[in-house]
Amino acid sequence: MEASSAGRQDDAGPAGRGQQLAGLLTRVARGDHSAFEEVYDQFAGPVYGLVRKVLRDPAQSEEVAQEVMLDVWRTASRFDAARGSAGAWVMTIAHRRAVDRVRSEQAATRREQSLAFGPVHGEDVAELVESALDQQRVRRCLGSLTPLQAEAVTLAYYGGYTYPQVASLLGVALGTVKTRIRDGLIRMRDCMGVPW
Amino acid sequence: MSLQRHDLHQLHQLTGAYAADALTGAELAQFEKHLGQCPSCAEEVRGLRETAARLGIATSIVPPPALRRRVLEAATRTRQLAPSGRRLLDSGAPARGGWLRRALPRPVTAAAMTALAAAVVVLGIVLAGTQHRLEQAQSANQAVAAVLAAPGARIVTSGTTVGGTVTAVVSARDHEAVVTAAGMPAPPASRVYQLWLISVSGARSAGLMPASSTGSTPPVLAADIQPGDHLGITIEPAGGSVRPTTAPVVLLSVYA
Repeated sequence: MEASSAGRQDDAGPAGRGQQLAGLLTRVARGDHSAFEEVYDQFAGPVYGLVRKVLRDPAQSEEVAQEVMLDVWRTASRFDAARGSAGAWVMTIAHRRAVDRVRSEQAATRREQSLAFGPVHGEDVAELVESALDQQRVRRCLGSLTPLQAEAVTLAYYGGYTYPQVASLLGVALGTVKTRIRDGLIRMRDCMGVPW
Repeated sequence: MSLQRHDLHQLHQLTGAYAADALTGAELAQFEKHLGQCPSCAEEVRGLRETAARLGIATSIVPPPALRRRVLEAATRTRQLAPSGRRLLDSGAPARGGWLRRALPRPVTAAAMTALAAAVVVLGIVLAGTQHRLEQAQSANQAVAAVLAAPGARIVTSGTTVGGTVTAVVSARDHEAVVTAAGMPAPPASRVYQLWLISVSGARSAGLMPASSTGSTPPVLAADIQPGDHLGITIEPAGGSVRPTTAPVVLLSVYA
């Protein structure tokens, strides 16, 4: 089930749709609550989905999703359409909030255990990708990556791992992971026709 | 001083990890600095961030219905940030370094900040009854002074694990605090003290503590304090971190 039309940017023509969302954020920045309702309805699904993907725990995810949507309300004046799309802006906030939560918990765990990178519980990469809901296109494009690229991108973005953690999970060198994440995202970008 | 070709190449490779929020600590700070000088990197980051956002949007699921009401209701009680005079070079997402620039009115000069430091440090000791100094502070910086003068503002203070004390004047009404340190040793070479708002949901940077030769730092304004937040200070690589990478040297409960 798809929660929000923000997931269907391409159907409505990405450019017009992007402008509409940017316009909404501009209104939100001026304190327009009805514009914020629209922004909520557009993005709550993607935001909650991504946060849940990274955090897994439903209760925590709900909490973080709430923080993200409030961040959007609070900081809408910082959105600058000249530097990226509304969708990227909102999803960047969501992703950072989610990984912040993951890492602060890892930090707490690490403090208790004194050193050693927190227990990186095994993530089933295939399952992470499979459970992605749309989104055939993302899936198809992920499928066009080399297995190592796909794993590196998936663990970093959906898993919320730092790239040294990804390297240790995959048992490859740091430099390798660095380039695989970059090459993988570049290939995704080209495959999905992202206009930058 | 220019980086070696090899190092530059290595930095360029980090665009992907950066767009995926997989960089931390010193490397993150170094890369963000580099971004400001490398338009092609910034351009690539922008495209990769758009790409990552598509990966995120693809995970969309129906959120719990109660969330909508809670968020919309909370928004009616949440003050919005004023537009910043200066944009971050990054994607515009909040909570990266340099917030002090954004949080304070623009005409804050270093001299004004230093003058204010004296006011705040004295205030930390004498508290009430320093109307004269408060007035000085007000003329120097409205944002900081507003906190100091806010009705019901409280002072919290604590020793740090590295020595010295940190004092905060907290205005719960304004969700802001003015923080200053006295007698804290200089951080190790290439390290800075970074101020955080720490809650169960993570830590948000509230900026770097200004360097000080006297051990008493100029005041730092921490904005957007939320219920449950603690103020913490950690030692971070120069330029600061996006998330704390060391245990706090002090933790103040600011929101009683």
